Amino acid sequence: MTDPSRRIPRAVFASICIALIAFQAALAADRHPIVAGFERFGASQKADPTAPGLLLIGELGCTTCHGVSSTIESQINRKHAPLLESAGARLRPDFVRAFLADPQTVKPGTTMPHVLHGLNDSAKKETIEALTHYVLSNGTLPEARPSRKSITAGEALFNQIGCTVCHGKSDGKPLATSIPLPDLGAKYSIPSLAEFLANPHRVRPSGRMPSLNLTAQEAQVIAHYLLKDLRVNVRPNMRYEYFEGDWQKVPDFSKLKPKASGICEGLDLARAERANSFAMRYSGFLRIEKAGQYRFFLHSDDGARLLIDDKLVVDNDGIHPPQENRGVVGLARGAHKLTIEYFDGGGQVELEADIQGPGFSIGNTIRLRQDVSSFVTLTEQEATPPPPGASTAGSARFTADSALVDKGKTLFVQHGCSSCHQPNPAGKSVVAKPLAALGDSASGCLASAPPASSPMYSLNTAQQTAIRESLKSAGSFESKRPTPAQTIARTMTALNCYACHERGQVGGVESERNAWFTTTQKEMGDEGRIPPRLDGVTAKLKPTYLRQALAQGLKDRPYMLTRMPRFGAPATTALADAFDTEPKLGPIPAITFDDTPKRVKSAGRQLVGSDALSCIKCHTFRNSEAEGIQAIDMTLMTKRLNREWFHRYVINPPEFRPGTRMPTAWPNGQTIVPNILGGDTAKQIEAVWLYLSDGSSAMIPAGIGRQPLPLFAIKEAVIYRNFIEGAGTRAIGVGYPERANLAFDANGIRYALLWQGGFMDASRHWSGRGEGFQPPMGDNVIALPDGPAFASLSSPSNPWPTLKAKELGYIFRGYRVTPDQRPTFLYEFGETRVEDQPVPVATSKTPSFKRVITLSSDHPSDTLYFRAALGETIKPTPNGFLVNGEWRVSFDGELKPIVRNSAGKTELIVPVKFNGKTATIVEHIEW
Amino acid sequence: MRVGILTLFAAILATAAFAADAPTPTEADYYKITDLPIPAGVVLEVGALEMLPGDVLAASSRRGEIYLVDKPFSSNPRDFVFTKFAGGLHEVLGLVYRDGWLYATQRGELTRLKDTNNDRRADLFETVADGWEINGDYHEYAFGSRFDRDGNLWVALCLTGSFSSENKFRGWALRITPEGKVLPTTSGLRSPGGLGMNAAGDMFYTENQGPWNGACSLKHLAPGQFVGHPAGLKWYDDAKLPGKKPETPKSGSRVAIEAKRIPELVPPAVYFPYPQMGQSASGIVCDTTNGKFGPFAGQMFVSDQAASTVMRVVLEKVKGRYQGACIPFRQGFSSGNLAMLLTLDGSLFIGGTNRGWGSRGGKGYSLERLNWTGKIPFEVQTMSARHDGFDLTFTKPIDKKTVEDLKSYKMRTFTYIYQESYGSPEVDETTPVIESAVIAADSKSVRLKVKGLQEGHIHELHMAGIRSSDGLPLLHDAAYYTMNLIPD
Repeated sequence: MTDPSRRIPRAVFASICIALIAFQAALAADRHPIVAGFERFGASQKADPTAPGLLLIGELGCTTCHGVSSTIESQINRKHAPLLESAGARLRPDFVRAFLADPQTVKPGTTMPHVLHGLNDSAKKETIEALTHYVLSNGTLPEARPSRKSITAGEALFNQIGCTVCHGKSDGKPLATSIPLPDLGAKYSIPSLAEFLANPHRVRPSGRMPSLNLTAQEAQVIAHYLLKDLRVNVRPNMRYEYFEGDWQKVPDFSKLKPKASGICEGLDLARAERANSFAMRYSGFLRIEKAGQYRFFLHSDDGARLLIDDKLVVDNDGIHPPQENRGVVGLARGAHKLTIEYFDGGGQVELEADIQGPGFSIGNTIRLRQDVSSFVTLTEQEATPPPPGASTAGSARFTADSALVDKGKTLFVQHGCSSCHQPNPAGKSVVAKPLAALGDSASGCLASAPPASSPMYSLNTAQQTAIRESLKSAGSFESKRPTPAQTIARTMTALNCYACHERGQVGGVESERNAWFTTTQKEMGDEGRIPPRLDGVTAKLKPTYLRQALAQGLKDRPYMLTRMPRFGAPATTALADAFDTEPKLGPIPAITFDDTPKRVKSAGRQLVGSDALSCIKCHTFRNSEAEGIQAIDMTLMTKRLNREWFHRYVINPPEFRPGTRMPTAWPNGQTIVPNILGGDTAKQIEAVWLYLSDGSSAMIPAGIGRQPLPLFAIKEAVIYRNFIEGAGTRAIGVGYPERANLAFDANGIRYALLWQGGFMDASRHWSGRGEGFQPPMGDNVIALPDGPAFASLSSPSNPWPTLKAKELGYIFRGYRVTPDQRPTFLYEFGETRVEDQPVPVATSKTPSFKRVITLSSDHPSDTLYFRAALGETIKPTPNGFLVNGEWRVSFDGELKPIVRNSAGKTELIVPVKFNGKTATIVEHIEW
Repeated sequence: MRVGILTLFAAILATAAFAADAPTPTEADYYKITDLPIPAGVVLEVGALEMLPGDVLAASSRRGEIYLVDKPFSSNPRDFVFTKFAGGLHEVLGLVYRDGWLYATQRGELTRLKDTNNDRRADLFETVADGWEINGDYHEYAFGSRFDRDGNLWVALCLTGSFSSENKFRGWALRITPEGKVLPTTSGLRSPGGLGMNAAGDMFYTENQGPWNGACSLKHLAPGQFVGHPAGLKWYDDAKLPGKKPETPKSGSRVAIEAKRIPELVPPAVYFPYPQMGQSASGIVCDTTNGKFGPFAGQMFVSDQAASTVMRVVLEKVKGRYQGACIPFRQGFSSGNLAMLLTLDGSLFIGGTNRGWGSRGGKGYSLERLNWTGKIPFEVQTMSARHDGFDLTFTKPIDKKTVEDLKSYKMRTFTYIYQESYGSPEVDETTPVIESAVIAADSKSVRLKVKGLQEGHIHELHMAGIRSSDGLPLLHDAAYYTMNLIPD
């Protein structure tokens, strides 16, 4: 029985229903073809009032049925419908069925019209089934499972390289100007989506979905990400043999008989018939597309071994908790036998194997590790992993029925599908009224409820108005072609170039998307992450370079993570032609030199180097790192830029790039290096230009790379306070003429490192900006225990404090140096003041240290200890102690050192005995 | 480009007006640069400068050395003898002398050095304070000031990189008391380039273009205040300041708007428009020479590392907060100007380095001295805001005709986006109308009545047309006034 109080009153229920219906109606009304340029700039374009309508006419493919003259055609940038030749290897049948039944619902924003809207339900169902069989008759859909690692890499790439510029973030609030993505898992399999992403123009030749020049691997991982929720069954790709027994390491399988064997998907431990004490041997063939060094990672609990072509590559054997080992092997292109052996000796079971290498590198910033089993096939011959699958998500295997295919072929032409889509089996198209004759029409496709004979685009009012507006003037187009400026603006709208690039104060990155444009060089500011404005691009870039950039895409700015996509020549030739007609800068007269070309180039080389204009402080040079930010490579400049532009730009960069960080190399046109080429500005710029014209063969200028800067202690000690690896950020390195060295950690108030031989190489910190930690230059480096050297222990069995010295209130007071710069370190804790003097001792063999520590206090403590060592082992010897078998420590006088255990390690502590107000410890360290 | 055209226009006007008479005076006619040649084998990337008793100049370096330079005021280069006083320190970006000790600000601590045996080498290195942390990031610099009126030394701590504060008090200005106590004082710093006081003894620092900083600027460091970059606010509770933690500003806003919402937020006193005035503001000095450095007594000078220049700053207080103008002063230094010291005799010592950050002056490092030649340049002496315009005073009597001619002036205003990403373009540009220019009775100043002053904007004024009464154009005809508040 339903509790009556919970029942919704009928009136309320009715009103909810009405509200729901209204809501759905509103949703439906809002469903309309989404053309990013129209959504963003709408119907109001004062400079070119017919442009919005023409944009839609082009994007919706109106002229495929409504014939136009070639002159009118030149006004329209027509988008071609997807090519369906290989749709069967790309699309899932249920998606095709649903999409044909209601395109806008299944793929919101699609420009594909609803062609079958006039059919009754049974006729529609029959038609759709026949069309589906026809369209998908030409291929089999390959299948693969999403892998976690690929999803992570794919997500980073999707968010980085520019996918979000048109599509938005997949988990964020949808933006009005985003092209919505349908339920991609219902439409594609991972391999088929990857294939599409790698070569979108093969299916969509008009470049609206540009190619991001993805490698096969990149396309793969993005497909994994976009289909991350896909649940599919893939065909087994490995053989397994299952063994039972108790082992301490991977057994010799040649002497064992498997308890079971068969084929499985990947490293499937579920094939084991019991939870513990078993072993598995997996094998298959690994496809390598690119020869090179490959790294394998084997993660297991317990032991495992990975073999390639029967040779051991990773040994992770033995009983252990989950642990990873790695190995490297050079692999030729082709199939290699992969064997993974595993055993469990009890407890947890884990097994993962990853591969990393040249065939698997992704983008700029991601070094991809992938599940090796994704690339394994059962046989040596199988061509491309993952193997072709037999089943599809959520539906049974699709077999095209030849009768339905034939029927579908007829219907494909009859319903006008073939007017837009290839293949066109009859070579015929629907012929409708010519575009120029449509006039101000509100019928046919433009009717609010189109008749059965017209396709239904679900246009919204703004779109209908815009199309009608431009149709009114269609007749007048008979006599005119678009101006270059119109072509540029219209193409940039159609291809959504404005989503990244601003030109003529139109477009540019929308504020909601701004943060999605990222860089590896944050300090370059927006120049490092936002694609450039295209005002004056004709003046700037060489025509062939610009043309190529549009057709092929670009990646000249490695720091800018958003890529300039490849739109293809068909979509961009008219745009490139129009850019060619834009104004260039006036010519720079030929500049003659009294000197030989080689000498002129060396002047240019000198100018860009660190002794003159220092261009290389910020620009990379043939991929050599710059000291500061890593701006665009200098050796690309003459390849990209017009000489006229270069000559003017370097004199006044902000005029061409407002807000640029590029400093003015020749302020007010005046040189700042008067001694080169007579201080003649034009000659200097030309010399740089000529030098850079050598491109990647130009000789490296001065100031690139780091020269070693070794520090030597010759007659006196040398002190080096800096970031020293193993001694902290406030390390005080001291090198002595005796060739003994130490690093004192002023934050930890302790001796951190001792070593012999060379002292320090200062080049890391004294070249460029000086980032990071530098290890000692010499050898035989001993690391002394972290933590304070002195502590008060109420009993000798109390543990040594684990807090850092600064946290314990220890105070570093500095140091005193002798005339030959030998320091005595000064520090305090409580009421105790310490003077701690390292004294290097030169011996015939290797130098050693004597450490003289003097403590003083007005209220001496009798519970104070000095910790001399902490190690795995500390063994008493006739004259001291041996720590870790590596170094010896001993003390002068009557001290009573104690060796004790400390949290699994061994500690050597020495009680401090005050004599009046002072105490002295003399320690000898040899190693 | 508007600026480009204006500059060009100004240059043409200036040349046209003057070409007929005498050669146009240059900066060098009024302020002379003398090189103090650094001996071969010494790499002195100057990080800080100080004068020691006996007229000995101390210069510290990014390599952690401190050199003494004898007879630094000499006109004979052979007199400049360099002696190594100390070495092995960690990137010394602050030097100040007191009571026999030389205080050196290193990355990780404030240290004081003494030569106890008079052999011209330091032998005692005492740690005065180390109450902040570093982690190995190159960006985590520490700049030290001179002593303020209470005897405190200020340390300005760069963030970890540009965007975050990974270690305690990165992004703060600290005061170190004479007893060595560390007092975190002002939050919101990003990448300081130097510290210095004005004539009143208030502490300022230079900030560099980057996140939350549309351009380089001069900022006032008032205790308890917040100067703009929120990354360091995470240490607010550790700072134990009396006030409440400032709210985090909204990215994409304007600093003037956020300052109205966040009472602790102090907008830059003076912006140095990027790149017209420079790209990397650094050292700060105040002219307390009583005229020995020329006609700018009491004003501040700020160097720029990237442009190898020194700029002049004219400050005033409006409604309790500092604002004012920057004016070009001197260019042509040899390296990237970083440290400055103005001595009482009127010598401005300037040390440079361009390691890691390029500079217009192409030398890797340099030590130079700038002295006034005694000739008065024709310059804007002061620029101060009025509720309806500006008052400008000049270093020389002015020509009534050109000064009252409105065609002599061009003005525009703009501001920057206050945002977490790096830098900002100039935005919100307006063109105020100069309605009148009235010369004062003493012929040394003019009152500009301006319609359309913009609070929170930089007012860029070009005065190419005006002449001194003896017919000279201004040596520098541009001034950039940061109008945080319009006076009542």
